Amino acid sequence: MSLSRATKILLPNLSKFQPLICARFIHPSDTLQSDKPADNEPAQVLQPIRSEMGNIRNAPNKGEYIATRLDDLVNYVKTNSLWPMTFGLACCAVEMMHFAAPRYDMDRFGVVFRASPRQADLMIVAGTLTNKMAPALRKVYDQMPDPKWVLSMGSCANGGGYYHYSYSVVRGCDRVVPVDIYVPGCPPTAEALLYGILQLQKKIRRSRMASFWYREHSPKIESRQEVLNNLLSSEPPKQAQQASGH
Amino acid sequence: MTGVVKFLHRQFVVPFSEMMKTFQHNYAQDGGYFPRIRGVLTQIARFQEIKYGDHVGTDELGNKFYENNRFFVGRNRWVDYNQETWADKWDYNASQITPEWHRWLHYMTDDPPTKVPPKQRPFLIKHKRNMTGTNDCYVPYSTTRPKIESWKPPN
Repeated sequence: MSLSRATKILLPNLSKFQPLICARFIHPSDTLQSDKPADNEPAQVLQPIRSEMGNIRNAPNKGEYIATRLDDLVNYVKTNSLWPMTFGLACCAVEMMHFAAPRYDMDRFGVVFRASPRQADLMIVAGTLTNKMAPALRKVYDQMPDPKWVLSMGSCANGGGYYHYSYSVVRGCDRVVPVDIYVPGCPPTAEALLYGILQLQKKIRRSRMASFWYREHSPKIESRQEVLNNLLSSEPPKQAQQASGH
Repeated sequence: MTGVVKFLHRQFVVPFSEMMKTFQHNYAQDGGYFPRIRGVLTQIARFQEIKYGDHVGTDELGNKFYENNRFFVGRNRWVDYNQETWADKWDYNASQITPEWHRWLHYMTDDPPTKVPPKQRPFLIKHKRNMTGTNDCYVPYSTTRPKIESWKPPN
């Protein structure tokens, strides 16, 4: 390794990556600087992280690199041991059982049904959520230990579906619990549920708890206002354009 | 006597020949002696198992499709995603394959589109993978006026 290359790794050029790093901190509503109502904000801001931080030369500093690798390790463990809470409410539960059966074999992804919410990471809301069941669902969700995820399965759980105008049905389980993945269908096939689980695993793989902790406690990170000023002087991020483009 | 020979053949000769076929399969993909071993290791990394089969076809995105009816139904057809998938992030997704190959891969039909080409319609658009979770994802927004007025926190 040449000397210049070594110094590049030890003393990375921070200014080069500044807009790249800062873009992740900021919600598009900060950069808009307009009096538009908050309803126009996009639902989520997602940035590709693995391709940027996979190489140590791309990481802004060594601490960040280590934090990212820690995230990778934790995400690997979380991803491959998703234990869903058995929460079948209607016919979707039959497809959920097919997912557990040998043909689709959810056990190969480390997904194992648990009968107790205390041991579960994931709740698959499979079926129509009625008003009578809603408090029980919320209680079960509250009993699950963190980190926890919710997968809404089927039209009824997504938004009421066929029973949307019924007097006794909750119009979507996201009115009661925060949902990570929506699987469409009436009922969705076992393959669709499998695909939803794989999407959830991808989502878990993107989480960056250690990186955020490091950034919060790192003295090198500049203040939010400076980050904003830097970003506003350069071109606005893509997400912000998307938010204002209608 | 023939029964014993058949038994021994099935127990010892067939597995060995199968193993050699696996190596041959990977040899055809790469080439040379070290790549022959590397091909097997790559296959373990990608599929978590060693397989060989007939190359049935390649779709327009470069995904290769294989079949070997020696394996059990459900494992006898598989896909090796295109080179862009393996080059950078290994970020593969089941929606990467084109719909005409999806039919064959999921046992809706036994005829691959190389044998029975799908009917071309003017309204068919180019296949695009599921963009959920990437920067190109669909972000929903409302085009109607909000029915409620949300609370704005005082600065």
